[in-house]
Order: sequence, then C-alpha cells, then structure tokens
Amino acid sequence: MAKPARIRGLDPDRRLRPCARTILRVRIGEVYAYERAVLDPQNVTELHDMRIAFKRLRYLLEIFGIAFETDLEPFLEEVRTMQDLLGDIHDRDVQVPALAEHLDWLAARESELARALVHEQAAADAPADPDRAYHAFRARFEAGRRADERPGVHALIARRRRERDELYARFLEEWRRLRAGRFRERLEGALGTA
Amino acid sequence: MAKAWEVRGMHPRIRFREAAGRVVLTRWREMMSYREGTLLGEDIEELHAMRVSSRRLRAAMDAFEPAFPRSSFRGHLRQVKEITDTLGDARDLDVAIDGYTGVLETADELERPAIEGLIARMRDARAAETVHIAALFQRLAAEEFAGRFEAYVAEHTGVVADRLDPRPPHHA
Repeated sequence: MAKPARIRGLDPDRRLRPCARTILRVRIGEVYAYERAVLDPQNVTELHDMRIAFKRLRYLLEIFGIAFETDLEPFLEEVRTMQDLLGDIHDRDVQVPALAEHLDWLAARESELARALVHEQAAADAPADPDRAYHAFRARFEAGRRADERPGVHALIARRRRERDELYARFLEEWRRLRAGRFRERLEGALGTA
Repeated sequence: MAKAWEVRGMHPRIRFREAAGRVVLTRWREMMSYREGTLLGEDIEELHAMRVSSRRLRAAMDAFEPAFPRSSFRGHLRQVKEITDTLGDARDLDVAIDGYTGVLETADELERPAIEGLIARMRDARAAETVHIAALFQRLAAEEFAGRFEAYVAEHTGVVADRLDPRPPHHA
C-alpha cells in the first residue's frame, strides 16, 4: 500500500484553513497519481492504492470541512461513491484468491485423511480380501474428504469474477464522469487560495 | 454505522494545533467507549462501531500529524494502527460470514455445501480473533496506554481530555 506523502513545512500554530488546504491539495494529487494505471483492470495494486487515496481524502474532507466557507459535502458524496466502488472491486480481488486457497486447504485435508487411513490400515492385521479392504478404505475416505464442496467453490470463484468485471465497468464509467465534470478543478477551487 | 461524535469547540478560525487536540481526543474517547461491548462479544455491531471509530481516529492522527513531534508520534500511531488492524481482522470475518450466509439463501445445490464449509471454517477463525482482541486490550491496560496517550496529546496541543469531555451525539 502506498504511504501518504509527508507534509513538510506546515506551521501548526497557524489557523486550520491554510494548513488544511495544503494537506488536501497533496492528498488530491495522490488520488490522481493513479489515473492512468486504473484504466487497466489488471492493475489490482493500483486500484487498491487509489481506493486508499480516496479513503484518506474522504476522511480529510470530513475533518477539515469546518474550516472552509464552501460546503464540501457534495464533493464528499462523489468521493464516497468512488471509494465504495473501488472497495467492492477490492473485495472480489481478495475473495478470489481466498477461495482458491480454500481449495488448496480442502486438498491438504484430503491428503492428511488418506495418510491417516493408510497408517491405520497398516497397523491393523493384513486384510484377507484386498477388494474388501479397498472398498472399506474408499468408503471411509469418501465420507471424510468433503469432495462435494469443490464444484461449489469453483462456481463461487466464477461468480466473483463476473461481479468484478461488472463492478470495474461501473467504476470506469464513474471515473470518466468525474473527470469530465472537472472534479479536481472544482474541489481545488472550493479550497480557495492563500 | 455508528454516528461520529461531535467535536466540541471547533470553529472556522481555530488553530491547527488546537483542532488536532480536540479531534484526536474526541475520536480516541469515541473508540474506547465501545471497548466493553466489543470484549463482551454479544453484539457484532459493537465491534463494528469500534472498528469504524478506530479508523476515524487513525485518519485524524494522519491529518494532524504536523502538530506533533515526528519521532514520538510514530509510536502512538503504530499502537492505534495495531488496534485498527486487530479489530479489522475480526470485522472482515464477521462481514464475510454474514455475506456468505446471505448467499446461502439463494445458492443452488452445487454451491450450498461449499458455502457451508466456508462458513464453518470462518467461524473457527473468528473465534481465534476474539482471543487476539482480548489479549491486545489486556496488554494496553497493563501498559496504561490510555492515560499516556491522552497526556501526550495534551502536552502537544494544550487540549485536556477530561476538560473537553467528549460525549456521544445524544448527550451533546
């Protein structure tokens, strides 16, 4: 995750407004640092970093709003929309690998179960009938391996990927709308000048 | 979502340093007000409210960092970050369990066993998080972090928590 840039040369004994303006301008710039990268849906890290940058900006607008004459609430609404959309995309980007990991976990459990059954059988007397021994082993193995979960996990992965595609398309639409509406220029204008 | 507590004494001409003390201490007390309910663990909304407040506190500390000496501030920020992260791990599991439980209602025969298996595994992980949260707050109490944190903010901003006396919205 990209760290926020350190704000240098700010005098904390000044009034809130000029300090808040300086900080907000830096954080707005940090959102726009990702504007090219997020045009590629494969740039998962940059999409996540833009979400964090929007989140920081949102909190700052909430905290510093009192210092400005212009009502910053309409800007906050737009920032929240972007943060929520990017958050939903991030959720899918986390869930898909987590589901894949769950498949690995199921496979590992299955191996452990097979090993335990083989050890158990080896410790017992040698079976008189190998076919009966095999069928007994298989019945216990099938009962314990949770095989019925796997197709569903694959289906969930596919579902999450579809949702991610739809969310990204909505994000792109919103981001283009924001840029066309000159969001940055309007917000910086609302902060005024020193 | 729990409403943010009003920050008393804020006005357009306030100094950055004083605003820092008022906002940070209000968010600190707001977060700690959910401690007992979170540790009790009977209502997941208590943990959610504490997590939201902890994120507001972190955001306030990021915003007002220039009001504090950098070297000593980092340690306090790290501690608050640990609280946020610990609560976040538990909250993420609550949200995931809730989300998959919702999916279960419309799941087909293929997905159902998978979702039930996932939920069972997440419930085990969530139980472990409860232990982590309790251990963290025990340690913070032993280190008297709350008192030290409030004294630190007062020293650098001139705002004293007990005099500011932050309150939830319905008491304001």
